[in-house]
Parts: sequence; C-alpha cells; structure tokens
Amino acid sequence: MPLLDIRGLQTSFHTRAGTVRAVDSVDLSVARGETVALVGESGSGKSVTAYSVLRLLPRGQGAITGGSIRFDGTELTTLPEAAMRALRGNRISMIFQEPLSALNPVLSIGWQIAEAIRLHRPAGRREAWARAVDLLAQVGIPSPAQRVHDHPHQLSGGMRQRAVIAIALACEPDLLIADEPTTALDVTTQAQILDLLRTLQAERGMGLLLITHDLGVVAEVADRAAVMYAGRVVEQAPVRTLFDAPSHPYTEGLLASLAIEHLRPGTRLPEIAGTVPSLLHMPPGCAFAPRCGRAQAACHELRPALSQPGPHRVACHFPLGAGRRTPLELLGEAA
Amino acid sequence: MSRVWNETGIAQAGPDSALRRTAARALEFGRLVLASRAAVLGLLLLLAVVAVATLGRLWFPGDPWEMGGPPMLWPGEDPAHPLGTDFMGRDLATGLVSGAGVSLLIGLVSTLISAFVGVTIGALAGYYRGWVDAVLLRVIELFQTVPNFVLAVVLVAIFKPSVATAVFAIGIVSWPPTARLVRSEFLQLREREFVLAGRTIGMGHARLILTQILPNALPPVVVVSTLSIAHAIQTEAALAFLGLGDPNVMSWGTIIGIGREQVVDAWYICGLPGVAIIVTVLGFSLLGEGLNDALNPHLRRR
Repeated sequence: MPLLDIRGLQTSFHTRAGTVRAVDSVDLSVARGETVALVGESGSGKSVTAYSVLRLLPRGQGAITGGSIRFDGTELTTLPEAAMRALRGNRISMIFQEPLSALNPVLSIGWQIAEAIRLHRPAGRREAWARAVDLLAQVGIPSPAQRVHDHPHQLSGGMRQRAVIAIALACEPDLLIADEPTTALDVTTQAQILDLLRTLQAERGMGLLLITHDLGVVAEVADRAAVMYAGRVVEQAPVRTLFDAPSHPYTEGLLASLAIEHLRPGTRLPEIAGTVPSLLHMPPGCAFAPRCGRAQAACHELRPALSQPGPHRVACHFPLGAGRRTPLELLGEAA
Repeated sequence: MSRVWNETGIAQAGPDSALRRTAARALEFGRLVLASRAAVLGLLLLLAVVAVATLGRLWFPGDPWEMGGPPMLWPGEDPAHPLGTDFMGRDLATGLVSGAGVSLLIGLVSTLISAFVGVTIGALAGYYRGWVDAVLLRVIELFQTVPNFVLAVVLVAIFKPSVATAVFAIGIVSWPPTARLVRSEFLQLREREFVLAGRTIGMGHARLILTQILPNALPPVVVVSTLSIAHAIQTEAALAFLGLGDPNVMSWGTIIGIGREQVVDAWYICGLPGVAIIVTVLGFSLLGEGLNDALNPHLRRR
C-alpha cells in the first residue's frame, strides 16, 4: 500500500468568472522512501494538488470536490479539521519556494523549530531547543548553537531554506511535500539543497513529493514523475522511461525544449507552439489538442483518460512509441 | 570585558548567552530610538515629569488639599510656598507634584486597557474576516461616532467619579483607533506565507494569531499607544476641570478648575498645571514619533 494514494482528485475554485477545476481527475501515489516529482508549467495545478493533500486551500474559494486522498490508509478528504491539524507538520510536512517569506521575520529560527516540535511532541522548552540545535546541524548549518538564535534576515538564502527544511523535519514526518524548493536559490545552492533533501530522505525513508517545473531537478532526484497539464496528469512514469521514451506529445515537447546543447548557435530554441488553454474555457477534448502536432478529430471531441494503473500511464489517444496502438488510433487509420 | 564578547565566548556560554543576545538587541533598539532627536527630547521631558512625580513627592510630602498658607500667594513671594497658593491657601507645588503622579498613572493604565481591548477586537476582526469582521467593525464605528469626550463624561457621571472610573472611561473611549490599526495589520499579515507555513506545521487559530501574526503587528501599536497616553492625560485633565475628577485626588485638571475664577487676577494657578500638561503631552508625542522612526522598517535609513 503506498504511503500517499490520490485517486480521481478534483479541486475547484470559485472565481468571479465562474467555477474552475484547477485539478481534475488526478491520480498520484507516493511510497515510503520514494521521490515522486510533479512536473508542469505554472498554473498546471501542481501546487493546488499539494495544498489539497494538506487541506490548506483558501477558505471559501477553493475546495476538494471529488476523489479520494488516502494517507497511510486514512482518508484525508473527510478527516475532521482537528485530526488534520494533528497530521500537518507531524506526519506530513511542507517546504516552500521562497524561504524568506516562509519564515516569521520577528522570531528566531530556533524558536520556530522548537515551536514545530512542541506542537506535536510533549517536549519541554529546553528539550525542544536542544533538538532545534540538533536539527540545524543535521540540515548542514555550521555552528548551529549560535545560528539557532539568528533571525531569518541574518541568514543567507541557502541557510534559510535549510532552516525551513529543519522546521519541516522537526517531527520526523513520513511524507515531505517540497513546493519548488530550489527555484528561489542560485544554482550552486540549488545543488546543495537537492543533495540535502536526497540524503535526509534516504536516512529517514520518507516519501517525497517534489513539485517543480525544472526537468533537470526531476532527472537528478526523482524516482518517478507525473507530468501535469491544465489541471490533469497527462503522463506518469519512472523517470528513466519518461526521459528515454515519453509517450505523451506534451512530455516530448517539454523534453525537446531541454535538449538545446545540440543546437547550432543562431537557430530558434525549440518550443511548444500556442499557449495553455484558460481553465475557464477548456476545450471539450484533450486539453493539449490545440497545440498538438499529432491531434486528430477524436482528440478535439473526446477527453483521453489516464491509461490503466501500471508503471507507465499516459492520457493520450495517440501516444508516441510504436507498437502500442490504441483502438482509436486504429480507427483513425481505417478512416 | 572584550573577551566575553568574542566568538568563542558566545559558543561556550549556555543560557547566559541568550541573555546577552537579548541585551544586545535591546541596545541596538535603544540606539535606533536615540538616533531620533525627537525621541531624545521626548525622553528627557518625560524623565523630568517622572522625577517630579517621584522625587518631588519627597520634597513636598504634604496633603495637596490642606490649606497651609495665606491665600493667593504669587510664586516666589514666600519661600515656604515656592509656587504660591490658590484662593483657599492650598500649596500649588504640592498640588502639581501630586498631579504628576495622577496624570502618569491614569495615562498609562487607561492606555493599557485601550491597547488590550483594541488589539483583541482588531485581531479577531482582521484574522477571521467575514461576519466577525462585519460585526466588530460596526461596534468600532459605534464607538467612533459618539464624541469621545462626551462618552467619557457620561461614563464618569454614571459611576462615582474616582481615579478608577476615569481610567476605565478613558480606556473605553480610546480603543477604536488601535482596533482599526491592528485590524488592517492583521488583514495584511494573515496573507503572508509564514502564516501559511505555520498552518502546514499544524498550528491552530489561537496559536497563529498569538505567536505568528501578533508579534509582527505590535510595533505600530506601541507607537499609537504612546500617543494615546498623551491623549489620555489631556482627557483626564478635562474631566477633572469639569469637576468629574476624583474628589480625594488633586490632579492638574482639578487645579485648573480651581483657578478658573481667578484667571485674570492670578493666571499662575491655571498656568502652572497647564504648562505641566503641555510638557508631558509633548514628551509622549515626541517619544511616539521617535519610536515610529525606530520601529517602522519602511522609514529606516531611507
């Protein structure tokens, strides 16, 4: 049984222009000790999926409207708020993109880590403080006994993100959700933070759900990846498979935009033509069809569902890769 | 001494180093406040008033209501009564010293009450928004539409005039600006990411309000409260002038009220407590301005 098992998740937002399905029919699972990357452009529903798991959608605007989220056997979508609160920071933690804004500017980082411990553990002030120093050492902050007194503005960007990670790990969670944890950092720091996450995960056997738009990060740390497009998962596969033999034309397009080292200087960078459809005006068929070179009549009418559970799942009527022809594709050829 | 402050010294020290850090932070804050000329002047004025209220009491320990000398003595006329006497022969120096204590006490305590009420109501309205905000906002508006002073007069008149009722009445009429300020701070701060981060580690509403948002909302409250002390002192003087002061306590407003009839012949009876009020109010205003410069990050070093 996977640690986190999301099935058919649907999260809707009420906006003035109408109700929008920011996340629709998302299937996703994370096992203990596994790193799953959730990849997609901004607005594709990655973060909303994460906030749905933690049930932290903006009150009165966003709500889970369908599907199930099981965490270690417990259904989260119907869990009472008090039980949910006992889970957050304790068994499921989250780290954020911008560490400076995720830390409280007027409190020392030691206070913030100790508070995270004392929220869920019957630890005394002194004990929690000692543990905070310990955690800072574990996330690789030098001279932790002194840094523990520092306020966020006294630390560098990389150190701040380490502090945020220390807070998230304070109660040894089973699942860590990292929402673009390296996007706000410079390249050398990015590599260090990714290394740190990988090490900590291996030590603790946590499940890690890594949200990113950076395929380089995916290749580096993830075991499996799910690609999201306009609120849906379009492809899900082990990272090697995904990079070597993508099945969905969108995934292929994303990968093509990465392979720029073979380009001759002066040529245009490869891109996927067109733009992401507005969630308010979704095409009736495949959301990617208007931009897809392989789209046929069926694609514009019928929305493809994610293929049956297995290691490699794809939501496409005409997936790439020879040999595996769907009935629709055969139909298209016959016509 | 310098060895205590070096890097290894801090590394070795245990709980003692936390104390030193707090001290260092207080020093840094003190330096910021003292960088403002207004704050320094304000502090000096207030120190003078505090000195009058404490040391002056040792100099003039008598009962301010006692008729201890000939009436209507001008200041300097009789060394036994250096600031003169009123029309009933009560010593003005003793009265002014007693009034300093009353003014400071009433100003501080009533401001504590108004800060507590204002912060509580503002925090609840700004944090919960929705109908809680709508209801509390109406309450705030209700208190703001009634003229403050009239409401204070009515409150004191309903209960027996005393120091306690004056404190209570002034506190009750002066919290709305604090509430509005705290509400707007909370409306902004609740959207900040560290509040969301607090929720992701499982904090409940009370904890988010008290430990995450409130510490960030307090600096402007400190500034407003300092100014509010000045206002409370004026209000108390006005109440006492109207005869709504504590009959057993001689405050500056009481003395002005006493001297009202003789203001043409003996202006000093009204003039001296008037100057005392101006000095105190000015002191708190200047200090508030200086604190604002020190606490407001937007104004810092720009």
